[in-house]
Amino acid sequence: MSAAVSSLGELREQINAFLVHEAALADQHRYDEWLELWSSDAIYWVPCNEDDYDPARHVSIIYDDYGRLQERCFRLNSEGAHSQDPPSRLCRIIGNEEVSRNGDGNVQVHANMILVEVRGGEKNIYGARLEYALQPEGDSFKIKHKKVVLLDNDEPLGNLTFLL
Amino acid sequence: MTAVDGHEVDYSSLIEEGRVHSAVYTDETIFEAELERIFYTYWVFLAHESEVAEPGDYCRKSIGRHSIVVARGTDGEVRAFFNRCRHRGTTVCRYDRGNAEFFRCPYHGWTYNNRGPLIGVPFPSRYGPGFDKANLGLVPVPRLDRYRGFYFASLAEDGPSLKEHLGRAAEYIDMFLEASPSERVELRAGASKSNFHGNWKFVGMDGYHVNFTHKTVQDLQVRRTGNAESRKSNSDRAPNLTVDLGGGHCRLDLSLTDRVEIGKATSSLIGEIPDTEAGRQYLTLMVERWGSEAEAYAKIRGSRDVHVHVWPNLQLIGSEVRVIRPISSGYSEVFGYPAMLDGVPDEINERRLRGYEWFNGVAGFGSPDDREIFERNQTGLQNDKEPWMVLSRGLTQAEVRDDGVVVGNITDEVTQRSQLRQWAEAMR
Repeated sequence: MSAAVSSLGELREQINAFLVHEAALADQHRYDEWLELWSSDAIYWVPCNEDDYDPARHVSIIYDDYGRLQERCFRLNSEGAHSQDPPSRLCRIIGNEEVSRNGDGNVQVHANMILVEVRGGEKNIYGARLEYALQPEGDSFKIKHKKVVLLDNDEPLGNLTFLL
Repeated sequence: MTAVDGHEVDYSSLIEEGRVHSAVYTDETIFEAELERIFYTYWVFLAHESEVAEPGDYCRKSIGRHSIVVARGTDGEVRAFFNRCRHRGTTVCRYDRGNAEFFRCPYHGWTYNNRGPLIGVPFPSRYGPGFDKANLGLVPVPRLDRYRGFYFASLAEDGPSLKEHLGRAAEYIDMFLEASPSERVELRAGASKSNFHGNWKFVGMDGYHVNFTHKTVQDLQVRRTGNAESRKSNSDRAPNLTVDLGGGHCRLDLSLTDRVEIGKATSSLIGEIPDTEAGRQYLTLMVERWGSEAEAYAKIRGSRDVHVHVWPNLQLIGSEVRVIRPISSGYSEVFGYPAMLDGVPDEINERRLRGYEWFNGVAGFGSPDDREIFERNQTGLQNDKEPWMVLSRGLTQAEVRDDGVVVGNITDEVTQRSQLRQWAEAMR
């Protein structure tokens, strides 16, 4: 059954499978496959200093459109991205998912993430609230919008060049 | 003379012509002396007027280890105080920014107004007759002054004026502002806050690293614009320059290979004039202000090419006001404030933000690689069997101009030598 017509229970399962898949691609630095999850009008937003604001008027840690996302993956795939050489070792848990259907046919997801990163003898733990707008496509989804609200987005941060 | 690794050392002996000793970056005793002799003595950048634009606005900053409250009083005047209750020392300000008429200590309720005076002490009857609130206001920083909206503080009661301190660097603050038709910028778009396990002096001016540290940025530029402009502008054959302005202030001059025109993609993304109504409107405003299209382009190019270090803790780079925060010899913070242009269409500032994020910040395509190098530097310098680092690029070829400004090739180490000479002077 396609994601567009499934029951809410089935939809939750499909969403969970999608998020677990996305998490695995990000953890394993599978940049090209991760990029394929996004729609061509996507926005990938990691707010800075505050959790919500008009990104046209305030700096963000990341505010990528699809072109910028392609650049991000191109850079990570290329030689000379010193901040990911060697790459971070990553392990994330996505949970507390809340799934609802939007009026426009997209699925809205709120979830929490705990991400552990090990690199250069240091272990970092990041906590974040995630928001997604997912567009049903076949038996899966495309990411139209992903927002990562880091708990420490107003603290001095280190190296966030891996995929959040 | 102070002890380094158990030996008596004159710090200035750690800087020689063309080389520097790694203790300058790794020794904690030297770091403590830097706080006293540099950060608590010289003028340091503190805040921009737009961060306290309205009466009652305040922001929390730091000078070395000191937490400082910068507040615009209800009388409209900007002041800076140590963030410390006069009673038992509790901090009175616990947010980075806000608007408040009073700062009330949470411990025993001592209350100060936003001009500094202590105006309330609970249960005052238990203090004797010698107790005078008038002597117990928030302690102001000894000197506070501003240059074109940039507030600087000095913790020394006496010394050179801010104007004398800035010297030739002031001209580049001017240029930075000139991309705005009203020659004003606003720091109202937040701050990208980062840290690294390395010495604060690594955040310098280096025209040599670009083709190596930022190879991926150049690859992206080639992908975006179809040419390798930036790779050429940072080679020893480029006409661009490293410049020692004196007083530890220095800059990279990248303007000699820069072109700007409407709708043309550029390598930096900063200062691109989009081929849109907003882009044309911006150009019109700039032509009205500066007299001709050629001048307008020159001002836009001049501003985006500003790449200056105002010693010791401020850099203006493209669209960024970058503040260096020393924490220990091996740990530092960098706060980057994207400067928004006053009096331009919103779209111009929005593009400025997206251009800023492209290179800067903890997930940008440029700054994280600088950070990575700074950390590897700090680790590498611990291996000090041979403690001297080589800083002799262009030493014999650099040109001393009539006005005393020293100029070298863009890949020369004129800038590093300029800063370390000032460092030795301050640490003597």
